[in-house]
Amino acid sequence: MPRLKYTGPAIEVKEASFHYKKIKAVDDLSLEVPQGISFGLLGPNGSGKTTLIRLLVGLLRAKSGSVRTIGRPPSRKISRFVGYMPQLSSLYNELSIYQNVDFFARIYGVRNKARRRKLVEEAINLVDLWERRKDSVHKLSGGMKQRVSLACAVVHRPQLLFLDEPTVGVDPALRVTFWEYFRSLTQRGVTIVISSHTMDDAAHCDRLIFMRQGRVIAQGSPDELTRATGDPKANLEDAFLYFVRREEGKSLAK
Amino acid sequence: MPSNAFPIAGRVIHQLVRDRRTLALIIIVPLVVMTLISYSFPENKAMLSLYAPALLATLALFFSFLLTGISFLRERTQGTMERMMASPVSRLDMVLGYLLGFFIFALTQSLIVLMFTIYVLGVTYSGDLWQIFIFLIVIVTMAVNLGIFASAFARNEFQMIQFIPLIIFPQVFLCGVIWDVESMHKVLQWIAKFLPLKYAVGGMEGIMIQGSSLLDVGFELGILVAFVVAISILAALTLRRGSAG
Repeated sequence: MPRLKYTGPAIEVKEASFHYKKIKAVDDLSLEVPQGISFGLLGPNGSGKTTLIRLLVGLLRAKSGSVRTIGRPPSRKISRFVGYMPQLSSLYNELSIYQNVDFFARIYGVRNKARRRKLVEEAINLVDLWERRKDSVHKLSGGMKQRVSLACAVVHRPQLLFLDEPTVGVDPALRVTFWEYFRSLTQRGVTIVISSHTMDDAAHCDRLIFMRQGRVIAQGSPDELTRATGDPKANLEDAFLYFVRREEGKSLAK
Repeated sequence: MPSNAFPIAGRVIHQLVRDRRTLALIIIVPLVVMTLISYSFPENKAMLSLYAPALLATLALFFSFLLTGISFLRERTQGTMERMMASPVSRLDMVLGYLLGFFIFALTQSLIVLMFTIYVLGVTYSGDLWQIFIFLIVIVTMAVNLGIFASAFARNEFQMIQFIPLIIFPQVFLCGVIWDVESMHKVLQWIAKFLPLKYAVGGMEGIMIQGSSLLDVGFELGILVAFVVAISILAALTLRRGSAG
């Protein structure tokens, strides 16, 4: 696939805010993600992860501040270099697995038939559904739909990939496969932004942020974050709670 | 160049073709409705022939609107619309793609009803059959876009169905389907001027009853085309990126 030549950070967010009516979903958030890493957005439901991703793919516009992906504001022009897997499985239920993946390959600009066939086959194999490629999506279980949805997001080989809770409903064995695949992507220079509320996913990320109420309360590698707690036995769950408490202490002190 | 319109149209067609029951309903329901209406005219073919153009225009509007409205709404609620909006697909691609995809079904449906009305129910008509076709195409195009546009204001299928009394019923009663527009109160006549079905009915009656050509009903045709353009623009506006809710 053609790549956009650009050496700066994959993502630059400066003091971005977004609110739905009265709810502040993203609050004065700044962020920089270098290229070629997996970057985790961790936080409880309602902490602003999905809104942040929707700002980054251009589905929402920040009310203030700036958002840049691959050096540019998110737009249709650069969207072919970007992959997006929404939280809902967002598939065409009447169509087969193959037809779904093929459709997304087409609208993301894979015009050549032979090449498209190869990419679609590769993507479906990746999620281990090739045997069932002719089945309608409505016959599939939740976890399988999630896998098809991932195949649709990666089929055009994007250089920046947004995955909104991709591992929900995916069994542990396949989750390991997913992470091996994500690792192979980042090694090829692809940047992956992945939201999750399970600390199991978090441990796999190169870098991550903890989010709460639309703000970043901590960022670093999983190691750095656990070490910051001062407890050598702390896991990421402990680290998250540690930072939440520290944040609450701060706001009380104000 | 709206190059993504074809993949979208192809996908829409695949979706409907794979859904056998819906496909059957699309064809059978209008025929059943048309048959019932025709037999409700007591042994009077001439009377039915008088009403047939208006009925054909109304059925084309109603079924095309319903078909696109619900399908497009599903796209909005199941999240695939959001996915498309994050892709390189443009608004023009989406509107044209949908138009093309649904159009084929909506038109097939309208043609089957037309043929059935003429050859099975024995409705007589003057004017050329191909000119009736062309006029139907314009009505169907208008209805398809109206469905896309209206679906933006519904959150679920239940609400979409509520739009039928709002969008379809007033048109049926005010646009000369049942009684002549000229016999209505001044205010109602004035309202009817802004309703596309008035021109659809006027044009169909012109061709089928008076044997006019498309040129003769150029006024009605022109206004309908203007409606098509205006509604398409409105439909495209509902697909704005960066405004997802």
